[in-house]
Amino acid sequence: MLNNFRSFFLVMISLFIVTVATPALSADDAIFADYKYVLQISDMDPFKQELILNNASNLLEAYPPGAVEVEIVAYGPGLRLLFAENVNAQRIDSLFQSGVKFSACGVTLKGMTKQLGYEPKINPDAKVVSGGIVRIGDLVRKGYVYIRP
Amino acid sequence: MGDNKLFKRALVSAICTLSFAVAGTANAVDWLMLQGTEPEAASAPVKVWGFIQTDYQRDFSPAGPAGVYATPKLLGPNLNSQSGFNISKVRFGARGTGFPIDDHINYFLLIELGNNGITASSSSTGAGTAVLGSTVARLTDASITMNYIPGARIRTGLFKYPGAEEGLQGFMLADYIDFSEATNAMLLERFPNAQYTTNMTPSTPAQFQTTGGTLNGFNAPVGAFRDTGIQVFDSFDMGKDWALSYAAMVGQGSGIQFNNVDGKYDTYLYLSTEKNLGGAGLYANGLKFFAWNQSGLRMADVTNDSIADPKFYKRDRSGLGVKYMAKPYRVAAEYITANGMIFEGPDKPSFYFAVPPNAANLVNNGATAKANGWYLDGGWYIPNTKWELDVRYDTLDANTGLADEHKFNKWTLGTQFHFNPMTKVIVNYEMRDFKCTGAGVVAAGVNTCSGTANGNLSGVGNKLGVQLTAAF
Repeated sequence: MLNNFRSFFLVMISLFIVTVATPALSADDAIFADYKYVLQISDMDPFKQELILNNASNLLEAYPPGAVEVEIVAYGPGLRLLFAENVNAQRIDSLFQSGVKFSACGVTLKGMTKQLGYEPKINPDAKVVSGGIVRIGDLVRKGYVYIRP
Repeated sequence: MGDNKLFKRALVSAICTLSFAVAGTANAVDWLMLQGTEPEAASAPVKVWGFIQTDYQRDFSPAGPAGVYATPKLLGPNLNSQSGFNISKVRFGARGTGFPIDDHINYFLLIELGNNGITASSSSTGAGTAVLGSTVARLTDASITMNYIPGARIRTGLFKYPGAEEGLQGFMLADYIDFSEATNAMLLERFPNAQYTTNMTPSTPAQFQTTGGTLNGFNAPVGAFRDTGIQVFDSFDMGKDWALSYAAMVGQGSGIQFNNVDGKYDTYLYLSTEKNLGGAGLYANGLKFFAWNQSGLRMADVTNDSIADPKFYKRDRSGLGVKYMAKPYRVAAEYITANGMIFEGPDKPSFYFAVPPNAANLVNNGATAKANGWYLDGGWYIPNTKWELDVRYDTLDANTGLADEHKFNKWTLGTQFHFNPMTKVIVNYEMRDFKCTGAGVVAAGVNTCSGTANGNLSGVGNKLGVQLTAAF
């Protein structure tokens, strides 16, 4: 009886772990995607903003649904892409809805806050990470292909 | 209440209602926003830009009586020949957001180096001595926009005032080489000289050669559809791809001259609504309705009495228009009215058209006259080619109801070849019908309108122009 109870308890614990942990891994590390790309934007040039969004769109179109993970990491002057009022915000949201992830550099944000005297509002589709280059390094280590348009 | 006051009140009411009723801004496709703001969080600190326009023009009008040529038969801005090449515009500037992480402030800077009415000599002192094109460069735009107040952006400095489409649009996108007669006579302002200046008389080619003469009698540069002042403006997203834009401005009424020449101020009002039909920025498709008004005073000495007695004359302008652009079709039309300070020609710096200048009775002077005019323009982009066909009819009725009322009608046939979005060539063929239609007065046995004026105008004929524009 005790053994049966122990077995039932272990099965339930295992199911709980699988249920809870799998989505987290899927969302963060894209372990199920066949192709993974991290795109960097750190330039002031506004044309680069359009270019990197075009790159993300093209990657989504190039592979079957669910086969590719794309993450755009913005830092330095390139963080302006992820300002809430950015002229491309609608397009960013559309890409986000299609699965593209956006990471905003926390270090850059802190620096800009100091310069401006207030914290610039970041696009709600973006996740603020501790450091842009650190995030890129982590993703590359996990098998992402690094692209800097 | 005058028509102008009614028009202005209607515009003010509409603008106030709009300001309070609508929340949130949109990147509407309009000139106010394109010229006065930068894309949010996506502009460069310094974006160098500009364009070059070169042209060849040939006026086929025959000489008038005694072999002389009146100004409509000569090529501007120099007005001393009937054919020639010209570097009509060379504009070079920069724009952007100086501190790129702060979108609240942007700037716009532009300099003109071409040979046109803008680059008149600032050292000119009297009639016939204004040497157009002699100034190497002139600042035409220097403005700063503050985007702090939602719904009320503030632009200050020297820039294009909100007004008629032909003046407000980016010139590198203009579909014709010459302005419509209505825009040229009523809106491309020529400022009065400091003192009465005698009308200049048509000249023979020999006179142009021997004197090096020009028939331009105005000393100041043309207004270039610009003014120095302060403007409140914005654009609002109304949903379903419609946007509403407004602008209210106070300026010096001095064009591209920096000083407040007469100490008075002009007011400008503008309201437009546009439906976006695809695309964005300069090349967007859309349907736009617009209305505008400008009102001010000008100081002029137009009495031929050897006394320096300048007086203030009102200068009011209003317009309504529509522009539809959805490739392959373009249709545009605008109606413009003017009250006071009617331009009578570059050779008529004291605003007398045909009736002889006088000392007291200004009943036939452009300073107190009225005018109106309109144009209808159509374009067709030939599918799957880089060619475009254009046709425009425009008309001007100046000095309405006066003894020297005159009507200028013009058909312009055109074609454009777009090498790429930044480079194009325009070929225009103008067919002009200019007439003095007033009763005139008899002076020295000749009717000033049917005799003297029409002697010079009846031969105003066709004109060919080829213009190449390259923007960067």
